[in-house]
Amino acid sequence: MTTLAITGFLALSFALFAIAIFGILTRRNFILLLVSLEIGMNAAILNFVYFAALAPANTGSTSGLSGQSIAVVLIGFAATEIAVGLAIVLALNRSKGSINVADSTTLRS
Amino acid sequence: MDLSILFGWAFLVPLLPALAFVIIGIWGQRLGRLEHGGWIAVLLSGAAMVLGVLIAVGEMLSPNSYTDVSYTWFHVSASGPFANGVSFVVGTLVDPISALMLIVVTVVGFLVMLYSVGYMHHDEGLPRYYALLSLFLTAMLGVVLADNLLEFFLFWELVGVCSYFLIGFYWRKPSASSAAKEAFLVTRIGDVMFLLGIFIYFSVYAMTGPNGGWAANGFLFVHGSTSFIPIGASGNSTLLTVAGLMLLGGAAGKSAQFPLDVWLPDAMEGPTTVSALIHAATMVAAGVYLLVVGSIFLGGYTSIVLFAIVAVGGFTTFYAATMAVVNTDIKRVIAYSTISQLGYMVLAVGAGFALVGLYHLFTHAFFKALLFLAAGAIIHTIVTQDLFRMGGLAKKMRYTSIAFLIGALALSGIPPFAGFWSKDDVLASVYSQLGAHPEYWPFFILAFVTVFLTAYYIFRVYFLAFSGERTRDASLPEAHEVPWVMLVPMMVLAGFAVVAGLFVFVPSFGSLFTGVPGLATNVPPSYGPTDLVLSAISVTLAGAGIVLAWVLWGNGRVYELPAGSPAHSIRNLLLARYHVKAAYDWVGMVGMYTVARAADFFDRFVIDGAVKGFERSFRSMSDSMRRIQTGLVSDYAAYVVAGIIAVFVLLLFVAPYLASVFGGG
Repeated sequence: MTTLAITGFLALSFALFAIAIFGILTRRNFILLLVSLEIGMNAAILNFVYFAALAPANTGSTSGLSGQSIAVVLIGFAATEIAVGLAIVLALNRSKGSINVADSTTLRS
Repeated sequence: MDLSILFGWAFLVPLLPALAFVIIGIWGQRLGRLEHGGWIAVLLSGAAMVLGVLIAVGEMLSPNSYTDVSYTWFHVSASGPFANGVSFVVGTLVDPISALMLIVVTVVGFLVMLYSVGYMHHDEGLPRYYALLSLFLTAMLGVVLADNLLEFFLFWELVGVCSYFLIGFYWRKPSASSAAKEAFLVTRIGDVMFLLGIFIYFSVYAMTGPNGGWAANGFLFVHGSTSFIPIGASGNSTLLTVAGLMLLGGAAGKSAQFPLDVWLPDAMEGPTTVSALIHAATMVAAGVYLLVVGSIFLGGYTSIVLFAIVAVGGFTTFYAATMAVVNTDIKRVIAYSTISQLGYMVLAVGAGFALVGLYHLFTHAFFKALLFLAAGAIIHTIVTQDLFRMGGLAKKMRYTSIAFLIGALALSGIPPFAGFWSKDDVLASVYSQLGAHPEYWPFFILAFVTVFLTAYYIFRVYFLAFSGERTRDASLPEAHEVPWVMLVPMMVLAGFAVVAGLFVFVPSFGSLFTGVPGLATNVPPSYGPTDLVLSAISVTLAGAGIVLAWVLWGNGRVYELPAGSPAHSIRNLLLARYHVKAAYDWVGMVGMYTVARAADFFDRFVIDGAVKGFERSFRSMSDSMRRIQTGLVSDYAAYVVAGIIAVFVLLLFVAPYLASVFGGG
């Protein structure tokens, strides 16, 4: 892989992360917020994969596939996060009748 | 019979009234049939009187015996300079002066108690009255019998607090409760001085003196001129001068000597019986007794202190008598006369004749109690204290008028009544010192002039109240003679007022006055020719006073000062009590209030201001900070982003810049 290629990949990650931050800061819909979070998470996971692919294999004591395996674990984390997030969305919808985060600014019903 | 076996039982004398205090204090409300405990108080104070008088007689029969029974109260183990620790003892000391005081306090106390049964019959709060009056007696008997200075001081304070409660007995009256406070606070000035005096005496006598000094024997009174270091010999005379002045301050507070005399006339707000007790036997006697104790048991006084005592006593004698001349309240006139007579006693102590002062205290107690009880009888029947509304009472209250007349004659110093002997003794004592101390002259003259004033003012009262055809104020209730329970005490006291002065001619009684070593005595029958001349002059002066009173006020006459006379301004000055009370009020209201306001300002604005300022700044800070807590998730996300950006800015730009400036790695 060339230096140019890694720059392009990193630009992609950056763009995704920026989109995620933009979404987190501007959206009021809880589900869209979760979607934005996922985008930002995936930008980070992508970075693990790039750098793992870029690094020479079998350097140091770690396995050459360490970056990729962390990416897989993180995908699992993201899935659990979404599951918890959707549960919160459901609970919120039940108690407030809305999934707009601007409607629930206190931690009580 | 050997009465000296009773000396060890002297502690029972104060305990009997204390028992009455406890019984009446607890069960008084249920003792309605016994006058709410009045008869119990009479009974137990009567028992105390019997025991007290027997002890006194025992002391007379075994002259100059000093019987000390003491127990260690507690002991502080050795520390600092006190290698043997410091002991505190309680006990009783039966000696000539306490024997004399036992007679005064128990007899007058018992008679006042008996009189109260009639006088207070219609009042409310009788259990409180009898309980406190009994405690008052206990306290005074404790002072009299105390065998060490600390015990003396404790009972002395108890006397003060009892007087506070009794002067303020009619506490619903604002004037009574403020008079009680005044009495307490003014005597407190003296008490604090007394306490300072005790400290100084302790610092001097702690390690030297009999039985290893006060630290070892617990402030014990030990008699005899060699009991303590002679003044001046130890180089401590400055300390002892200050200590003596402090003692004088304490005595001046309790005995209402100038300038701490303001409380006594106002103390007339209490029941008349309380006034009788305070003025004759308990409160004010304690001050003079303290001075006598100081002369005998504390190594005597230095010459500066003696002069101060003479000055205070001599001046007060005259000063109080002048105010009595114009007053229109029967009780207040008698109150001023008490201050004046106490001045004589103090004067005698200052002249070096402590026992002569005590002799005057002894006779004065009887005729002063008599005057108060007779005045109380008047107030009891016609319910006024204003002399100018009275008149013609002799016809309605024959026995009371005779009693008052005897008291007045005794006070004036007409022979052979009690006051004559003791007052002339005081004058003769001071006179005998004039050669050695010419600076006593002004006070001797003041004391002599006071003889005239005394006779005048007390007979002014007598004529205004008793002579004439009828009461000047026809709206007053019809006067009538008081019941026997009030008459009997007056008659007994009248008997004493006639003969008490003559007691000293009985050798065994006279031995009370001659037995104290190291003290000059001038009590009859050691009469010299100069004394006779002095007596003749003072009796003439007293007679002139009585005649003047008759001319101005006798037979129902009322003397009006001519209009425009300069005497009016003097009269107003006297009625305003020389503005001394106003000056005290000024010190309190203006002086102390200004200080208090300054302190209040400092407290409110500086101390509280600092605390409140902190509080306010934190509050405003948190008020502005809480605005960022919107509860909106997006806002918090924005703060997180801003924080991350700030960290990057710090790491990438600020930190390298700082490193370049300060030169670090």
